Amino acid sequence: MKHYSHIIRFAVILVLAGIGFLLVRSFLVPDSFGIYGSYKYGFHRGDSDKEQEARPTLYRGVDKCAQCHTEQKNSILAGGHKDVTCEACHGVWQAHNSQTKLVVKKDVSVEACLLCHQKLEARPKDFPQIETLDKHMKDQEQEMDKGISCIDCHSAHEPI
Amino acid sequence: MNQDRRKFLKTVFHSGLAITVFPSGVFASEGGNSNLYAFIVDTEKCIGCGKCASACREENNVPKDCYRTWIERYRIMENGEVKVDSPHGGEHGFEPVKDTGKVEKAFFVPKLCNHCKDPNCVQVCPVGATYVSKEGFVLVDEKQCVACGYCIQACPYGARFLNPVTNVADKCTWCFHRVKQGLDPACVTVCPAKARLFGKIDDVNSSVHKVLKEKRLQILKPETGNNPMAFYIGLDKEVR
Repeated sequence: MKHYSHIIRFAVILVLAGIGFLLVRSFLVPDSFGIYGSYKYGFHRGDSDKEQEARPTLYRGVDKCAQCHTEQKNSILAGGHKDVTCEACHGVWQAHNSQTKLVVKKDVSVEACLLCHQKLEARPKDFPQIETLDKHMKDQEQEMDKGISCIDCHSAHEPI
Repeated sequence: MNQDRRKFLKTVFHSGLAITVFPSGVFASEGGNSNLYAFIVDTEKCIGCGKCASACREENNVPKDCYRTWIERYRIMENGEVKVDSPHGGEHGFEPVKDTGKVEKAFFVPKLCNHCKDPNCVQVCPVGATYVSKEGFVLVDEKQCVACGYCIQACPYGARFLNPVTNVADKCTWCFHRVKQGLDPACVTVCPAKARLFGKIDDVNSSVHKVLKEKRLQILKPETGNNPMAFYIGLDKEVR
């Protein structure tokens, strides 16, 4: 028996280390780990889904704006900008709601229109574009006034 | 003795077989998941206004100089040279380029996380911080991430970055928080050209259902085997 004592000692240490590992592991691994998804790609902390879901939404889409601004929605839907949502030009809804009453962005500068309508070779050919304001005015046989803006001729909501 | 060895080898072989078969047989409960979503980018419609990139920044609080989605402009010159640019991720739109040489064809390619079915980024994560949710979204668990950056290097699309504010890996989530509330992702909501579509694959009322069935679609870098769930219409062979 004397000759086996060192083996028994070693075995006891090994078992204790194993128990210690399992104990520490049970504290360190979050409870919700691995409750959803597959073993292959979905092995994760389940609470993470809920935490990410809870984040606030800022952009709310046309329907939210139309709850108050029905008239504007109808006029947009009648014209060439029917696919352009309110928030594309006016900015995020969250900045202007019934609580904050902040004024929305109303950028009517030529540059704001040119962001989409500047002539670029990469844009679809059938998309309405102008090279420069000067050239556009000449093409339309209009007089070029200083400080003239796109909205002097075109409605931003219902462009031709 | 001989008989015993035969028995022993048989047992070893069978247990080996069991271990290999086990994960794919027991845990692979996917297949027939009708909850999956798809993203469609129509490069023939994109006008390169950059509204998507700026809406994404606002919605998701993306730090400066980081992009969860961006737009690349491809210009293929007459001599075959391919010029690609993406100033500020296309966020402030694109300026006309004045250079010599005739442009043969040009187009915009918006990019974002492809939310792959077999994502490299998830395979390499050592702490289970990045994963595929049961809806098919590839997400990052901010609390588990140790910012080792393996996933950033593994992504063949360059869709991931290290967020300098939170100091963890960050990427497009397809606006998981919005989709869960029944809204479209922010970039889809603001796109004035309807170049971005998003929805449930199997939902007949979703905007992607019909397009997936009827249009000819391509994916980016199919050779990497990631099986992206973002599909492209009108992709050129030069697009990487």
